[in-house]
Amino acid sequence: MEQASLCDLNEPLIDHAEGQFFLSEAFKIIMEEVLSNGTDVKQKVCEWKEPEELALLLDLGVRETGEPRDKLLQRVRDVAKYSIKTSHPHFFNQQYGGVDYHSLAGRFLTEALNTNLFTYEVAPVFVLMENEVLRALRQLVGWTEGDGIFCPGGSTSNMYAMNLARYQCFPEVKSKGVWALPRLSIFTSPESHYSVKKGAAFLGIGLDNVIFVKVDDRGRLIPEDLDEKIELSKSQGAVPFLVSCISGTTVQGVFDPLDHIADICDKHKLWMHVDACWGGSVLFSKKHRHLMKGVDRANSVAWNPHKMLVAGLQCSALLLKDTTNLLKQCHSANATYLFQQDKFYDVNLDIGDKSVQCSRKVDCLKLWLMWKAVGSVGLEERVDKAFIHARYLVEQMKKREGFQLLSMVAPVIKERMMKQGTMMVGYQPLGNKVNFFRATVFSPLLSQKDMDFFLDEIERLGKDL
Amino acid sequence: ITDNILLNGPTLNVLASENFIHQSMSIIVENAIKKATDVREKVCEWRSPEQLKELLDLELRDGGESESEILQRFTDAIRYSVKTTHPRFFNQLYAGMEPYSMVASFIIEALKPSLYTYEVAPVFTLVEEAVLKKMMELIGWKDGGDGIFNAGIINGLSAAPRLVMFTSQECHYSISKAAALLGIGTKNVYAIPSDERGKMIPSALEEQILSAKSEGAVPFMVNATAGTTVLGAFDPIDVIADICEKHNLWLHVDACWGGAALLSSKHKHLLKGIHRADSVAWNPHKMLMACLQCSAFMVRDKTSLLQRCHSARASYLFQQDKFYDVSYDTGDKSVQCSRKPDAFKIWLMWKALGSRELEQRVDRALAMAGYLAEEIKKREGFRLLMEVAPVIKERMMKKGSMMVGYQPHGEKANFFRMIIISPQVSRQDMDFVLDEINNLGKDL
Repeated sequence: MEQASLCDLNEPLIDHAEGQFFLSEAFKIIMEEVLSNGTDVKQKVCEWKEPEELALLLDLGVRETGEPRDKLLQRVRDVAKYSIKTSHPHFFNQQYGGVDYHSLAGRFLTEALNTNLFTYEVAPVFVLMENEVLRALRQLVGWTEGDGIFCPGGSTSNMYAMNLARYQCFPEVKSKGVWALPRLSIFTSPESHYSVKKGAAFLGIGLDNVIFVKVDDRGRLIPEDLDEKIELSKSQGAVPFLVSCISGTTVQGVFDPLDHIADICDKHKLWMHVDACWGGSVLFSKKHRHLMKGVDRANSVAWNPHKMLVAGLQCSALLLKDTTNLLKQCHSANATYLFQQDKFYDVNLDIGDKSVQCSRKVDCLKLWLMWKAVGSVGLEERVDKAFIHARYLVEQMKKREGFQLLSMVAPVIKERMMKQGTMMVGYQPLGNKVNFFRATVFSPLLSQKDMDFFLDEIERLGKDL
Repeated sequence: ITDNILLNGPTLNVLASENFIHQSMSIIVENAIKKATDVREKVCEWRSPEQLKELLDLELRDGGESESEILQRFTDAIRYSVKTTHPRFFNQLYAGMEPYSMVASFIIEALKPSLYTYEVAPVFTLVEEAVLKKMMELIGWKDGGDGIFNAGIINGLSAAPRLVMFTSQECHYSISKAAALLGIGTKNVYAIPSDERGKMIPSALEEQILSAKSEGAVPFMVNATAGTTVLGAFDPIDVIADICEKHNLWLHVDACWGGAALLSSKHKHLLKGIHRADSVAWNPHKMLMACLQCSAFMVRDKTSLLQRCHSARASYLFQQDKFYDVSYDTGDKSVQCSRKPDAFKIWLMWKALGSRELEQRVDRALAMAGYLAEEIKKREGFRLLMEVAPVIKERMMKKGSMMVGYQPHGEKANFFRMIIISPQVSRQDMDFVLDEINNLGKDL
């Protein structure tokens, strides 16, 4: 065994004072650039640069030696400057956006404490907290009992639900694999999020076995067609096992008729999963929760507070009605270096084996702190307000002439808005519809002026087209 | 006003909110950073679950709370959390406090970007590309490859005839979880025995491959581990690569823990042959102390395999008529949709410290472990029995003096597993660990 190294083992190698000073200076920059300027409607949403130009500006290559503090602080500034200000009132591009300062504080704290919540011993506060938050979310779904977990995104939640449904039907799949099973089939609407497809591929079920059910002219799944397609699949020798329906589709924000779908799932004994990643937050609103009527009849619900509730990425919950420990049975591997059974506390608190992940971030603190700060009533207000903004926008659009977007126009307007940095809205085609803009409006920072601005700006940018 | 809701102004008072952030930041710096890394403070403030539930008052209610109440909750959450940045936290494969990475994390939290397209995350798209490029250089892939930072989920392949994969009995349990999730089945993961140092035995691998074939199964992959979870062993990658080449199997190297050794000219020999791997997993959030999560997955492939395997081409995200080069939209390589820009956490600290400093840290961690091993040999009585470890663990946690994990292993009884990562740790801490175990277990 060679002699302990050249470096002096007696002294710590880190200069904490320097590190902490850098932290406080960097924090000032973050506050100024991202939180002040980044939410200021007079500032740009984005500072557009072409990829090659940006790569040069950022000087990305890592080197042998480090850099002095001033240079690093400039780097912090540059990163902030050229990143999109997702908290800006004119960022309408994605289903996350806006800012909540309590969840932000929760996120900073999560990073500072830097831990995983696989066991009670390393994360006592957060194991208990996650449990409580999941319980509260389940209560809004209408379940007094159940199970659940926070996942690294809605795609993973949807995938877990698929895996659980399959495991419940065929527990031998865990040990024997898909070769021990008949051909399985999944049912979903073409409006569903693409993670259903990715999940089917990833899990070995196969894209071909994802069957798309017809939707009505509003984009909602047609239950009669679901029934038919299930019968058809059975007659073809496959085993239907899951219906994945949506509360709040990605592009149109549509809500599937859950009660009817539940009837059909009950009839055929299929697992009903509700992808409420986007729409789940309506459950906070007395006014709008009817959109999810019947959700308590589902087996699983995916819900992302990082979307409409502005909790900050990632914050995605998978909620289960099950009380038989299915989640743990399906996923567990019983690793003895983590989940020793002879610990000095109740080892049921070591929730790590419920997940497919090993290391798993603490995603509940940001939601919990915000919820404590504003209460369920505060969150309800936000959801209600978001709906009203959207309705106002629609009314205004109807009043304005010329608001009918053609295929070639949207990309050009998008390019102009990004290069000018005045706002960000996504566009996409849908089915046989041409490109159209999709505005997502829910940030607590928004006001009516921002809705007016949105319409004015599109007009302005596209005047000559 | 519509529906009794005032639409003219934002719901949020930005000025008051900024003040709240400043205050919460002060609390973080004082308690979660300064005190947490202070060796004179406790590693953990143990409370039983029932006590803790009461103390934290977790219940969520209809009404909100005042700012000072929220700040108190904030402080409590820190107080009762384990200080994983403490110099005497040796419990897991992550530890220590890396301020540059933490700043990167704060930036990410403030900006809240998702990394699927260039348009929403221009900076982070380019940063991820640059970091992966450097990591692949260190692996030794001269022509480069492809890769992605993902939230610790293994990437999979599609099903065909009964597929079988091979891994060491010492491998991480995520292999088993992945096999179950992907529909391969845990029974089709063949565990290859390891030698007394914990390294996979290549001849046993060869045997099992032939055996699987004779059963009519189709071997498709071997997982070699560079730095096993419990023993820190490195599988003989070069020899395993020979076998994989011979049988045309995909070689994956799980270097989540041991990948950091690639930065050390002294120790990189432990991963000799890694350039022959088809894919490598490497977690900078472990030995390099980047903030969680920070896990890279890299493939030695230039045919867009990652994209072809995972893509769904969602038209609301990956429009082909964008005004910039859409090959920068990396989102479809991932199984995730929203994805955090984790590469940034290692990039900023790498810029700050340079490869040489990272190398020094890796060398130091290994030297520290070497010192500890020598000291243990010198001390009498350092042989732990089954019942003793849990009791000593309980005592150290209730005292809050340090945290070291224990586990059984094969037919071995419980033993402590010391993980040494942080450059803040010094020789005195090693002596302390041995003294403390001694003290806590004196009466046993």
